[in-house]
Amino acid sequence: MARSKRITVVGCVLVLSLALGTASAEVVVIVSAQSPVSALTRAQLADIYLGRSNRLPNGDPVVPIDQAFGSAAHDLFYRDYIGRSTALIKAHWSRLIFTGRGQPPKAVPNDSATAEIVAENPNTIGYVDSGHVDIRLRIVPIE
Amino acid sequence: MPATPTLVQRWLHRLPEPPVLFSAIAVLVLAVIWSTTLYLAANEHAAGQRAAAALTADLTDTYEAQMVGALNVIDQTLLQVRYNLRTAPAHAVLREMGASGLLPHEFLFTVSIADADGEIIATTQPAAMESVAARDFFQRTREDRGMVIGLPRFHPETDEWRLHFSRRLEAADGGFGGSVMVSVHAGYFVSGYDPDALGKHGMLGLVGTDGIFRVRRTDDVVYAGDAIEYRSLVPDRAIDTASDAIEVKVNGWDGVRRYTTARKLFEFPLAIVVGLSDTEQLAQAKALVRTYLGRAAAASALLVALIALIGRLSWQLQKARARVAEEQVAYAKRLEYFAYHDSLTDLPNRAFFSRLLVQGMHQARRYERCLALLFLDLDRFKTINDTLGHKAGDELLQEVGRRLRGCIRDSDVIARLGGDEFVILLPEIAHATQAVPVTRKILAEVGKPYTLVGHEYRITVSIGISLFPNDGEDEQTLMKNADIAMYHAKEKGKNNFQFYSEQLSTDALEHLALESSLRNALQNDEFLLYYQAKLDLNSERITGMEALLHWQHPDLGLVAPMKFIPLAEETGLIVPIGRWVLETACRQNVAWQKAGFPALTMAVNLSARQFLDDHLLGDIAGVLRETGVEPCRLELEINERILIRNMERTLQILQGLKQMGVRLAIDDFGMGYTALSTLKPFAFDTIKIDGSFIQEVMRSAEGKRQTEALITLGRSLGQTVIAECVETVEQADFLRTHACDGIQGFHVHEPMPAAECAQRLHEQLLAAVAPRP
Repeated sequence: MARSKRITVVGCVLVLSLALGTASAEVVVIVSAQSPVSALTRAQLADIYLGRSNRLPNGDPVVPIDQAFGSAAHDLFYRDYIGRSTALIKAHWSRLIFTGRGQPPKAVPNDSATAEIVAENPNTIGYVDSGHVDIRLRIVPIE
Repeated sequence: MPATPTLVQRWLHRLPEPPVLFSAIAVLVLAVIWSTTLYLAANEHAAGQRAAAALTADLTDTYEAQMVGALNVIDQTLLQVRYNLRTAPAHAVLREMGASGLLPHEFLFTVSIADADGEIIATTQPAAMESVAARDFFQRTREDRGMVIGLPRFHPETDEWRLHFSRRLEAADGGFGGSVMVSVHAGYFVSGYDPDALGKHGMLGLVGTDGIFRVRRTDDVVYAGDAIEYRSLVPDRAIDTASDAIEVKVNGWDGVRRYTTARKLFEFPLAIVVGLSDTEQLAQAKALVRTYLGRAAAASALLVALIALIGRLSWQLQKARARVAEEQVAYAKRLEYFAYHDSLTDLPNRAFFSRLLVQGMHQARRYERCLALLFLDLDRFKTINDTLGHKAGDELLQEVGRRLRGCIRDSDVIARLGGDEFVILLPEIAHATQAVPVTRKILAEVGKPYTLVGHEYRITVSIGISLFPNDGEDEQTLMKNADIAMYHAKEKGKNNFQFYSEQLSTDALEHLALESSLRNALQNDEFLLYYQAKLDLNSERITGMEALLHWQHPDLGLVAPMKFIPLAEETGLIVPIGRWVLETACRQNVAWQKAGFPALTMAVNLSARQFLDDHLLGDIAGVLRETGVEPCRLELEINERILIRNMERTLQILQGLKQMGVRLAIDDFGMGYTALSTLKPFAFDTIKIDGSFIQEVMRSAEGKRQTEALITLGRSLGQTVIAECVETVEQADFLRTHACDGIQGFHVHEPMPAAECAQRLHEQLLAAVAPRP
């Protein structure tokens, strides 16, 4: 009697999470499956995306892939992972561009494009909606 | 050479004084501290200003480069889009260019294309689709061939100012074909504001040649749209920009005082404005200056405190030194005073007087005047000192000193020589007599009563006066002669004054010589006795002898009794001499007895000293014993004056003598008979009437009466009355008729040595009556 109950609970949870997973707009950081990157800290991730660093912790060059300004993925990423508001990002890049000290990361239109580029280029890093992760990609845990 | 020193010289002269020196040093150091500080402060300030100016210049250069770069990117975009629009439609151009990365980042820049009517036909930002027909820049783009920079517009929905840059599109017919535009948020152009460099009150700005600020930023705040006087802000760019004038002025748009540079951009109708807040930039310098000033103030305060402290210590030291010096001087003065003054009377002492005397003599010698020296010796001071004690004696001396001081003038000198001796110097007297009034005054004053231990006492003073230059021309001589004169005054009965005379000196010398020979006379057997007979008037026979002491001086010859007996009395030598006289006289008497002469009474004089001597009775007893003479054969003649004094003792002695069995006679009877009535019960054996009365007997009736009375009185006191100094037969006759028992004198015979006397006695034996000479 207990066992069957447990199975039912687990099964419901799985179904629910699946359902929710597909419906939720969770953004994950991804690299190519061949990328040597295993994990990154928030600070390291921020440095890469804010133009402060163009190398991975292990010394390999890295190219960040951004999504279209104003898109859901873009907003979520910058809010959850980088922790800066849009206004701050704007001001940051205004200064770097105006003073000629940096260029924003390359922007691609959507998740699929991001996934394609990242999958084919092991030296890139990007972020996509979790639903777009396939076997060519690996999720990078961010501490 | 100036007669009076200048102000500067006077102050220089005072420099070594501690207060002036310290003040000068303090001022000097303070001057150094402050001049250095102010110099450094000025330097710091100037450096700060220079740094601010330099930084402003630097920032301006950087900003200009950045701004030109940014504007060029925008312009390039416009030109490229316009170029591509020749061959492709608007949408395609934007898309292709975007994909190729030829468009600036779309999250900052929006690229749009508008048609001739101002409708947006293509844009990188789908939300920005509204018409630009009414926009200012669109109007200007119609006319302008270059890049048009629109006026800033505030978008409340995004809370930002936006700027539009546009270029004209040519229509196929050459007319206005629309515009290509790039819009960006105005803050972009001031996004490089570095708070570290520009601070919170600096500014970066972009102003159009039309005087409208396209954008400006101070700290975090972005402004746009302010209108300014362009020409007054931006200088003409005819000259090389390397020497931009950087003025410090108040920026009109926000009222902040800034180091401001405004530079027109080369290709664009814009000028950049860079400003650094005067207050902010110089804050550090000012803080540093304040530190310097604070340090200087602290150092100054410390210095002043230190100097004040040192000054105070120095002043205290000076005071202490001055006090010590004063004390030393006072001490020295006191020592000197005590060295020169008598502690009891406060009068000058001998040493001081000596100096003053010498001085006085010099003065007198110089001005040919005399001076008088008064030597004062208090009479019988010793008695008072012994009776009342030393304390009373001291008080007496002090009072005497005071009175003496009162008798003399300020120019006179008085000193205490010691004991009861004083000396007074009267300088500058013209004549000896001028000394007399002072001397008389002194005698009077000193003679007034003194109150000691509650009772009144009197003393007197003997004064000897010597004169300079008559009586001596040096200190010692004057003093000695005054002393001799004083001694003479004492001899003359005390309580008087005597002037010095040479005779006195001679007398004094004689006196001294005599005294010394007298001391040896007894040992040297220089004494001898002369005898004078007493004649009994009834029997006309010699009944007695009086022994008279003579001195055979080796040099002076025979010295009469009155010359040396007083001296003997004074020196006390009379006692041993008197004893010798007694002995010799008694022996002689015994010898005459043995020679067969009839019994005689030997009379010997007793002086006051002998009479009062403690050993008198013992000595007489001894003589009687040794010589073997019968007591009734010895008669002691005692002067009436001696008997009057000290009645009690006199009676005692007389009793004792009487008990021994010797005869007693009153000598020189006549003066004090009143007092003698007390001796009445005593019954003297002989009364000898004083010679002075006998001399008067034949001269006056008074004399006769007196003598008569004396004989009567004498009878009442004694058994026998003898007259002295009988010289004439008339006197003898008178006395005989007036019941006088005996006579003595030249009429009988003069005093003669024992041998001659014996001769006379012998003659008497042979004759019944004493032969007349």
